[in-house]
Amino acid sequence: MSNQALDRTGARKAPLFGLPAVAVVALLLYLPFLWTTYVSFTDYDGLASPVWSGLANYKAMFSDPDLIGALVNTLLWVVGMVTLPVALGLLVAVLTYGHKWGTWLRLPFLLPYAISGVAVGVIWGFVLQPDGALGQALGFFGLPGAHTGWLQAGPGNTLMMIVAVTWQAAGVNALLFVVGLQSIPAEPLEAARLDGAEGLSLFRHHLWPQLRPITTVVIGLSIVGSLKTFDVVWVMTQGGPGTSSETLALSMYKETFVLNDYGQGAAIALFLSLVTFAASILYLRYQLGDSREQG
Amino acid sequence: MSKVKTAILVVLGLIWLAPVYLLVVNASKSVDGYDAKTVWKPAGFSLFANFGDAWSKAALGDTLVATTMYSVIAPVLAVLIGSAAGYAIVVLRLKRGFLWFVFIFGGTIFPLQMILMPLFSGYANSGLYDTRTGMIIVYTAISVPFSAFVMRNFFTGIARSVFEAAVVDGGGLFRIFRSIYLPMAGSALAAIFILQATFVWNDLLLGLTLSQSDSVRPIMPALTGLQSTYGGASLPTVLAGGLLVSLPTVILFLAAQRFFSRGLALGQF
Repeated sequence: MSNQALDRTGARKAPLFGLPAVAVVALLLYLPFLWTTYVSFTDYDGLASPVWSGLANYKAMFSDPDLIGALVNTLLWVVGMVTLPVALGLLVAVLTYGHKWGTWLRLPFLLPYAISGVAVGVIWGFVLQPDGALGQALGFFGLPGAHTGWLQAGPGNTLMMIVAVTWQAAGVNALLFVVGLQSIPAEPLEAARLDGAEGLSLFRHHLWPQLRPITTVVIGLSIVGSLKTFDVVWVMTQGGPGTSSETLALSMYKETFVLNDYGQGAAIALFLSLVTFAASILYLRYQLGDSREQG
Repeated sequence: MSKVKTAILVVLGLIWLAPVYLLVVNASKSVDGYDAKTVWKPAGFSLFANFGDAWSKAALGDTLVATTMYSVIAPVLAVLIGSAAGYAIVVLRLKRGFLWFVFIFGGTIFPLQMILMPLFSGYANSGLYDTRTGMIIVYTAISVPFSAFVMRNFFTGIARSVFEAAVVDGGGLFRIFRSIYLPMAGSALAAIFILQATFVWNDLLLGLTLSQSDSVRPIMPALTGLQSTYGGASLPTVLAGGLLVSLPTVILFLAAQRFFSRGLALGQF
């Protein structure tokens, strides 16, 4: 059979094989996406028909104090997650890379990654109980703060939950940075070492610039992940006390399934999607741009 | 210098292990022997009794069966559907294949929040709400784009001559897919399966939204039920529950670390 005939036979039957994937994705992901987009411009309680309300739901997002609070908390999460776990991940990666027992010393940081967000919430909810494990440890070392109610007021509760997720996420970032370090050519590095570069200066002038592509990926993933923060908060505080630790992902859930304000929930969801999308594009483009420069 | 490095790593590592230590120690205390003032001290070993308590109080037994089903069936379906799509696009040269690929892969770009409400309404109207079938369908759909992505990449690496030879040998397109292309993709299929099974096992949001009864509800929402109201459960019981649900993914993770790091680089999770 000639190549062209082969291609024709294949192409004629190809839709049969592609159809299930396209159908499933269209029906369960795209159709809901379109419906949510439409509902976000309406007033809808899930029972009566949606009534067009223009941008009202979006305006509410920037005028309702609770939602503004959630917006601020989400911003805190983004800032927290692109700093703490990224810096710690980088530290662990640089310290363990090339270390004799590197793989083993990295393991404690990787372990929490395999644990679900819910389990992380359960563990840290326990650690952060008033006068709980953290309080007792601080008291033991004579440090201040032994009787702090870690989760009882904002923005402290959000910060402590960022610490909890840092515990979970630092190892993953370390793993990604190690992959980045492995891709750095060894010879220039050796030359720099012979020239007397070591420690911080070696890192700043020779490793860090080469790590830029992987750093962009790590930060991009951190932004995208932090915008969706739900599980840990849901388990540890349910967004409370009041709405003091609510994130937008949590507000979306509450507006829709607790308050039956489907339109408001949809507007929050679309807003989150747009920001996520922008962040993804940004880091994907950076990543591609970098590889083009080098290639 | 190397000693300083090791010292920093050991200290940090111990801090990182402390929550795990607290979890194991306090999940092992008997409900009566638990004292909130001495959480750092080990006391007794009632871990299995607490597992038993968590099992019965949160109806974890039912939910474990259901969740295991979801974490096996949905990724298997997704792997098959995804590789069929990859096969169609790469091997069979589907018309406008790249556009279809972008369409399928685009399904994962937006956050779950974007599809929760319509899924809830749609499920309620079609009788899929709070059914195991419904959960399997939604988990499959979520896993298909990633699966298609990996399989398309994998099939791109296979020489065209393999397909030509198979056609000359007189195999039908379906048989070529089943007995030549799928077996070649073993490691890629395993990687997708492991990553998606972990995702399904750890899911909270979809389970919370689309189910309510003990026999359908996945394990993570069930655990939050135990935690939030304490559902009549004491702290060691809750912690034992947390430990119990983490064991499968931790074991899987340790056994298959390299698959995870590969998936990470692809932007999953």
